[in-house]
Amino acid sequence: MRKFASLVVVVILSSLLMMTFLSLSTADYELSEHYINYGVEETKALNLVTAILFDYRAFDTLGEATVVFAVASTIAFLVPKRTASMISARFSIIMQQTTSLVIPFLFIIGAYIIAYGHISPGGGFAGGVILAVITILITVTFGIRYSDRQVRSRIKSFMESFGAMGFVLLGLLGMALGGNFLANANSHFNLGVPGDLISSGIIPHLNVMTGLKVAAGLSIMFNSLIKEE
Amino acid sequence: MDTPVLLIALPLLTAFSLGIIKIFSKKMVKVVTVISATVHLALIMSVVREAMQRPIVYHLGDWDNLLGISLVIDSFSAMMALLIGVLAYAVIIYSLVYVDFHELKYYVLSFLLIAGVMGMSLTGDLFNLYVFFEIVSITSYALVAIKEEKASFEGAFKYLVMGMLSGAFVLLAIILTYQVTGALNFAQVAANFGDAPMLVRQTIFVFFLIGFGTKFCLVPLHAWLPDVYCGAPASFNALSSGLVIKASLYAFIRIVYLLFGMTTGISQVMIYWGVLTFLVAHILAYQQESLKRLLGYSSIAQIGYIMLAIGLGTESGIIAGSYHLFNDGLMKATLFLGVGIFSYTVGASKIDDLKGLGFSMPKVSFAVVIATLAIIGLPPFNGFISKWLILQAAWETEYIVAAFFVPIGSLLSLGYYLKVIKALYSRAEGELEVKPIDWKLRVPTYVLSAACLVMGIIPNLSLALITNIPKFLLDSSNYINLLLGR
Amino acid sequence: METTFLAIAVLFGLGLYIILTHQNLIKIAMGIGVMESAIILLFIIFSYRPGGTAPILDADAQAYDLIVDPIPQALSLTAIVIGAATTALMLALIIKIYNRYNTLYIDEIKKLKG
Repeated sequence: MRKFASLVVVVILSSLLMMTFLSLSTADYELSEHYINYGVEETKALNLVTAILFDYRAFDTLGEATVVFAVASTIAFLVPKRTASMISARFSIIMQQTTSLVIPFLFIIGAYIIAYGHISPGGGFAGGVILAVITILITVTFGIRYSDRQVRSRIKSFMESFGAMGFVLLGLLGMALGGNFLANANSHFNLGVPGDLISSGIIPHLNVMTGLKVAAGLSIMFNSLIKEE
Repeated sequence: MDTPVLLIALPLLTAFSLGIIKIFSKKMVKVVTVISATVHLALIMSVVREAMQRPIVYHLGDWDNLLGISLVIDSFSAMMALLIGVLAYAVIIYSLVYVDFHELKYYVLSFLLIAGVMGMSLTGDLFNLYVFFEIVSITSYALVAIKEEKASFEGAFKYLVMGMLSGAFVLLAIILTYQVTGALNFAQVAANFGDAPMLVRQTIFVFFLIGFGTKFCLVPLHAWLPDVYCGAPASFNALSSGLVIKASLYAFIRIVYLLFGMTTGISQVMIYWGVLTFLVAHILAYQQESLKRLLGYSSIAQIGYIMLAIGLGTESGIIAGSYHLFNDGLMKATLFLGVGIFSYTVGASKIDDLKGLGFSMPKVSFAVVIATLAIIGLPPFNGFISKWLILQAAWETEYIVAAFFVPIGSLLSLGYYLKVIKALYSRAEGELEVKPIDWKLRVPTYVLSAACLVMGIIPNLSLALITNIPKFLLDSSNYINLLLGR
Repeated sequence: METTFLAIAVLFGLGLYIILTHQNLIKIAMGIGVMESAIILLFIIFSYRPGGTAPILDADAQAYDLIVDPIPQALSLTAIVIGAATTALMLALIIKIYNRYNTLYIDEIKKLKG
């Protein structure tokens, strides 16, 4: 009975959705046209998605970072802290050596993706996830105790708070320099030449902050979820 | 000049910094919390005062009107901001004593919640609204689970599943809106939305209704609320009932008026659904034994009244509805804080547990009774005035059936709230040992309940803020011009 | 286009159906995941322009004929992050519930609750 009723609801909703899709109209997308035509000129970031995320709609990104922050701090209190153990396979020395070998490269890739977020595909979120993979790899191969000893959870939460605070403070810096909150070009930052590593004002700085925040947040989440009582 | 954005940025910054502050000094956490909350309240006051003279538009990142995100503070947003300021401050002071579990996380999450609700009420951008909506949802789930009891986890999980469903529908509606209008800014969306095909517009309306309706407890979608309220700390209940639900309703009202306008069809849907909501909620509330469940159902019922009033689509209807929204925030916060004191001191959670408390805690009980009478809609309290305005507005627009049910609803609520009052002032079997209550618990409750009385006797205080609301809701071109800076 | 739209509608319905009918908490989480992927797919479809290039330009040669819409891409990134964060929170809650009741099935939890 329950299944039948759910089926009816689902079929009605899906067909409504389908009919809507089929009768969709398109508008003239002035906004995206503007971003495409003038985005590079106004923000000096070649990657338009980054330009939108960290300049035009940077406030959204602040909210997004806040969501990760909230979830990371929630999960950290939900799971027990005292008895940290986890079910894991014992890996052979080959696995452990390879992991140690891979980690420096992961770090370089992560840092690169964060730093070049405004020039090439990537940015704070993608790079942050790659950095978080480092701690996740350590946890999976060497166990949670070792991982927690290597990167203390206090340091991780400090990094997370620091990244999030940095984002807001950079926004307030725009105000201090005479613009509005999170203003970039309009508060007289030197935007530089598009394509250079040091260009487009606060965008790379915001990227670094987000990267720190996401990396720390994700590793807190993973290490907390994997703990067993 | 830059104050509007500080209303959101200050709680965010406080929440982010508390973790670092704790590393240096544990005592500083509470100090910083109080200082930040006080500064926040002062900022809100100054912004509201400014917005009452002239609506404020703030362009984030200094982009012009259409490119970036703007904050818009018209009278409706200003009223929400004032409500948030007062309730948030009261609850933060209250929490200083009440919260003895995961203190640091509690303050962090509360500040994020306040920032999120504030963002929802101030933003002038559709997707930004979604982001803040999700911040509010996630911090709410966390605050429900924070007591780490059995009931709180189940409540939180139920809330989370419903919340994610509602988030999915809202997101779907927003992306469909983007596709047919090519914009995310409220002004431009509203201007282009008329060109969309009828079917698409209807679908978008349905999705917004399901999405936000789940959050503000439209009747068939309300099932999560009583379970959630049972397991949550009372201070969160006050925030949730006073702010979270109201912010979702605010967002829905804003979107409906901007995008669709109050057409006859939508108007009738909202009016009759509102009536249905408060009738069902009142009847369900009548059967409750648990205090928090009862208050939860009562919250749902008040949402019904507000929907009815706003759905009328007339000037008097909007004034009545927004006034009731403001009043209900105050009344519900008082009730939940009062009930929180009862459960904190003597562990009372059922109506029967209240027996004799009227004599052992006379002042707190009196404050609760004032809020109870106000919420039933008895004079001379604020609830009476707003319900009377709703009745009048419905009568004027000749929705006689709806108008008829407003006093019926009050009568029903009289039934179950009388049980509460009766329990409070009946003699208990044994002598109750009551330890003295900290002033930080009492004062916020007194202040809020006094506000219920003052608003009832001098309604002009808040009506001055509300009279301009219809101007920006009824005629969406006013809002559009404001946002576009014309 | 039509096929993709059909896929999105079916995926969305499927996710909702799983949430409505299944008793297992993990499966409910999976259902929500399916629904969210359907929405992300919709974002991608809306940003797609046939023959368009990715919205990452060159410093010297800015002359691309057609560039896909960057806005839905930016929005979908936000939506993905929010969805992932909420899913993580949900899994944490499921772990807590499992620790208390030793079961993942809703009806058994209800029975234990009495």
